[in-house]
Amino acid sequence: MCQKGWTSPEVLTVSDRLTTPLIRDSEGNLQPASWDVALDLIASKITGIQAEHGRDAVAVFGGGGLTNEKAYQLGKFARIALRTANIDYNGRFCMSSAAAAANRSLGLDRGLSFPVTDLDDAAMVVLVGSNPSETMPPFVAHLNGARESGGLVVLDPRRSATAELTGPVAPDGVSSTGGMHIQPLPGTDLAVLLGIAHVVVMEGLLDTEYVAQRTQGFDELAASLASWWPERVAQVAGVPAPQIRQVARQLAHASPHRGGRGAFIITGRGLEQSRQGTDGVTAAINLALLLGLVGRQGSGFGTLTGQGNGQGGREHGQKADQLPGYRMITDPAARSHVAAVWGVHPDDLPGKGKPAVELLNSLGQPGGPRALLVHGSNVVVSAPHATQVQDRLKALDLLVVCDVVPSETAMLADVVLPVLQWAEEEGTMTSLEGRVLRRRKNCDAPGDARSELWVWQQLAGRLNAPGVWSVDAGEVFDELARASAGGKADYSGLSHARLDEHEAATGGADGSGLYWPVPSPAHPGTPRPFADAFPTVSGRAALVPVQHVGPSDALSPDFPVYLVTGRVLQHYQSGAQTRRVEVLHRAVPEVFVEMHPLLADVYGIDEGDDVHLTTRRSTARATVRITNNIRHDTVFMPFHWPGLGAVNRLTTAVTDPISGMPEFKVAAVHLAGGQPTGLTGDTTSTTPSLASEQTTSEVLP
Amino acid sequence: MNIVVVGYGMVGSRFVEELCAITSPESQTLHITVLGAEHCDPYNRVLLSEVVAGAYDVAAITMPTIRDPRVHIRQGVTATRINRDQRTVTDSNGNHHPYDALVLATGATARIPTLPGITHTPPGTGEPGDTPPEPSLIPGVHVLRTIDDAREIVAATLNAPAAIVLGGGVLGIEVAVGLAGRGLAVDLVHPRALMNAQLDAPASAVATTMLNRRGITVRTGTAATAATTHPTGRITGLQLADNTTITAPLLIITAGTTPNTTLAHTANLPTDHGILVTNNLNTTTDPHIYAIGDCAQPPEGCTGLIAPGWDQARHLAATLHHHTTINTPTPRHDPHDIVTVKGAGIDIVTMGISGTRQPPPCDTHPRRTIQLSDPDAGRHLSIIIENGRLIGATCIGAGPIAADLTTTYTNHTPLPRDPAQLLLRPLGPAATTTTDSPVRIPDRATICRCNGVTKGDLISAWNSGARSTADFAQRTRATTGCGGCTEAVCGIADWLRASASQDTPGEGEAAAQGQRKEATVSV
Repeated sequence: MCQKGWTSPEVLTVSDRLTTPLIRDSEGNLQPASWDVALDLIASKITGIQAEHGRDAVAVFGGGGLTNEKAYQLGKFARIALRTANIDYNGRFCMSSAAAAANRSLGLDRGLSFPVTDLDDAAMVVLVGSNPSETMPPFVAHLNGARESGGLVVLDPRRSATAELTGPVAPDGVSSTGGMHIQPLPGTDLAVLLGIAHVVVMEGLLDTEYVAQRTQGFDELAASLASWWPERVAQVAGVPAPQIRQVARQLAHASPHRGGRGAFIITGRGLEQSRQGTDGVTAAINLALLLGLVGRQGSGFGTLTGQGNGQGGREHGQKADQLPGYRMITDPAARSHVAAVWGVHPDDLPGKGKPAVELLNSLGQPGGPRALLVHGSNVVVSAPHATQVQDRLKALDLLVVCDVVPSETAMLADVVLPVLQWAEEEGTMTSLEGRVLRRRKNCDAPGDARSELWVWQQLAGRLNAPGVWSVDAGEVFDELARASAGGKADYSGLSHARLDEHEAATGGADGSGLYWPVPSPAHPGTPRPFADAFPTVSGRAALVPVQHVGPSDALSPDFPVYLVTGRVLQHYQSGAQTRRVEVLHRAVPEVFVEMHPLLADVYGIDEGDDVHLTTRRSTARATVRITNNIRHDTVFMPFHWPGLGAVNRLTTAVTDPISGMPEFKVAAVHLAGGQPTGLTGDTTSTTPSLASEQTTSEVLP
Repeated sequence: MNIVVVGYGMVGSRFVEELCAITSPESQTLHITVLGAEHCDPYNRVLLSEVVAGAYDVAAITMPTIRDPRVHIRQGVTATRINRDQRTVTDSNGNHHPYDALVLATGATARIPTLPGITHTPPGTGEPGDTPPEPSLIPGVHVLRTIDDAREIVAATLNAPAAIVLGGGVLGIEVAVGLAGRGLAVDLVHPRALMNAQLDAPASAVATTMLNRRGITVRTGTAATAATTHPTGRITGLQLADNTTITAPLLIITAGTTPNTTLAHTANLPTDHGILVTNNLNTTTDPHIYAIGDCAQPPEGCTGLIAPGWDQARHLAATLHHHTTINTPTPRHDPHDIVTVKGAGIDIVTMGISGTRQPPPCDTHPRRTIQLSDPDAGRHLSIIIENGRLIGATCIGAGPIAADLTTTYTNHTPLPRDPAQLLLRPLGPAATTTTDSPVRIPDRATICRCNGVTKGDLISAWNSGARSTADFAQRTRATTGCGGCTEAVCGIADWLRASASQDTPGEGEAAAQGQRKEATVSV
């Protein structure tokens, strides 16, 4: 457990916990109200807006932190109570590129297609744009086997805590005690992966038998890799060519076809939060397939989830194009099956909605939604180009936010509904390995806070919706199980009772548990779904040729430095929860920007100075931390803070054409000390304040 | 729209690929004809030296073939004539291809220096009207330009104990290193200094040492004067201007390339070294004809590198797609004059202004050249700064520094106040706190990341009675997360135990203060 873990009970008792519904009055202040009044108001406004502007005029925005039951019920609420196509969620900012790539190449999107304990014995683990030492500390213990054999490779423009695990930097940049840190120019990790794959193919290091039997598309892939020789990659990415060759050869050595102990390739948001994020993950999968890693015990490809329920949250219908069980809403058979479970006609289900960034940008625009219901997300802090998102929210006729604390987004709402959090409710979560885990109620919620299951039941009643609206998480799970039956993420063999029994029997240790798909009550679960075949039409994995294009926000004389974004250990998502925990807040109290001493010297900036960072979108402010752990052409800023310190004021809303993932990770930035210009008028501090300044709520990558 | 592309090499094929990618597949009006002289799919010419070195299989370097119903590829077919009035191209089969836009991507051929004995001319038939036969290279002499050349060289190495490489440019070095790696005794002959187009004399000397260490005999500053041959007509060696004779049954000529301009020249298109084109890749006199890649000579000159060729392909595809001329000059932000020499044990990178061919500095912005000369260690670095920007660099034996300089040069990122910093490795991270000696770690340094425990917290715990790792874990939670800090915590405990017998842990803080100051000064 990390510091976020042992302080998490404190989130339950923060002083500004929401305990009663709030309604904005005619003077713009949020005033306490009864549930009946608040729910009546929401229902009547929704009815009015939909009568005038159509069903899609009401939109829903969910969160990857919701339990499986709530994620499922929210999708159902949107489709059959609101009957709107417009639902998406913050997982779009998190896992969408990895999901799109895995679906395209492997036919299935499960973060890890193996128990996490499989990593322990691997000779090699390659982490691409992932920093679990900060974001998921307990995971790091699984890297020890690779470290001991000098096989941990970390691709990151920063010398992150995880990169430090590879050992001291060798003068030749190639070998070190624990492995190798590859420090590419931001936004070029895809090129590095292409370079490694190039060497694997050209030097004949691939698993030819596996490639022939379990994949398709090799010839096209090999031809596409011919143009990414290591010296070219070195020019694009600033990574020495010998590093690229070394990783390729070391990977081959660790791979099962050469008698190695096993190798894993794991991706994170650094690779994925890019306009070429899907292709980036595809390049990582291609590499794993060439080496014959995927589906072999002791080897594999995976992606690390960013949110509490990032895996389960993307399986049961919060996504714009998706129905429960990881079914596509455009698939007629899927629609029939789910409609039958919900007791509606398939034709009454709406179609595919807009992905998150497009949805947020369309709010209050002509033809766009007039109302938005937000659950488990703090979009004002977590969405890209945040100042624009704030404008869009303000243009709505109705903004309803369900949250546990007055987040920056809640502070903009017309109606705020106080809901439950982790220890106050029953439910399930699904781990990054596809392991379904129980969450149990340990304490009562304060005040008048209620479960979202109850909120949706109440609203569905007021909207005369069809379907069953249970407030019992176990009953909702049973319905979810039926709706998921036959889908890729098939939970139909699971129930709360079975999960409880299993946990009692195994102690719930790492690696134990029930992994989806679990298609029947007697089915033992599927820890390694690719062992025999891939769930694609041909049963083979697809090698999909991809190319490196680079970040959308190019460096220029006016914006000469790269900005990269990410997390710090002490905070989670938009920081709305963790910034309220004293010990976490004290550890990292304010937003900072990391820069190399050589860069600081250029601008005459010292440690602790306030610096203003400007991109082509907006300006933000942060306190300088000087560190050698970053490239001299790059600065780093974490994203957990609101207002002027919100890094998403700076990020671009350009998205990946396949996944809809925004390009959070890389922006071209201008630095200046002293007083900034153009900093007035667009901060969250201009909105009515309810609690102290140090407020906020959760969410994101 | 009819587009005819002459040349199906790396640039011609990339152009077609780019054009297909940006135009809608439904746009049936697009009709692309490609004439390719070689009988094979396009391949990566840059990697031919890897094939010669035995690092890559010849089949592996094939590039994507284009499968698009709008594209018609004729392999093994050359263009023989352009009729500019009728806007047609005649091919070697006698077919005529009408065009709205003609793209010449004819590439270049290896240059054969004038050297007595290396060619022979087979006797003609002597009949009237017969064209005299072309001279060809004698057996044992090869150039390296095509995939067939590479195959022939690889085959020749099987029976050759030694080889001579004539021409000490980038390709010459790559071939020499590759053949040496195959176990051949290699002489590299070059009339001037090694890589003189990119390197000045000191840099060249270091590069020469690098090749010597690979077992290659480098003979620079001396020209070849004649080939020596066996009565059967095979090559046996070279005579050099310094009167030495070197022997080898294999001679590889790497003396540069000549753009293929004959087709254009015959059609009365202006040519110089290559086919003259504007910044928009249009030939200077015919708005319907373009040239890209090695055959083209844009205003900034020919480079012979692939990156500009691919950039031209992308640019021209966009221009033709929009049916308009995009008025941005082709060499935009990305500089294209980065030269990297490939080969095992070889580390030579140059970019921008380098060597002796330096344009005169401008009056307003003085130019600075900073060098690190370390010939005994096989290292030489030189950077040139003008107007706050890195405009050129030479990196020999520089390791990861070369990659850093490449991105600095390419992206125009801000330079350190003292640009000499670029020559060493301050750009990399400093030693980590946890691997430092416990004394030198600042009190504020985090030891247990999972739980945010600093060295100062551990000292406090010690002062309040903690002694074992378990005590520290109980009081501070250090080591209870991922466990990665256990060693560091033990080290600090040992240090505290040792210093407790001497004096207070306060000196650690003092040392840390000094360390901190030093850190900010020294970087």
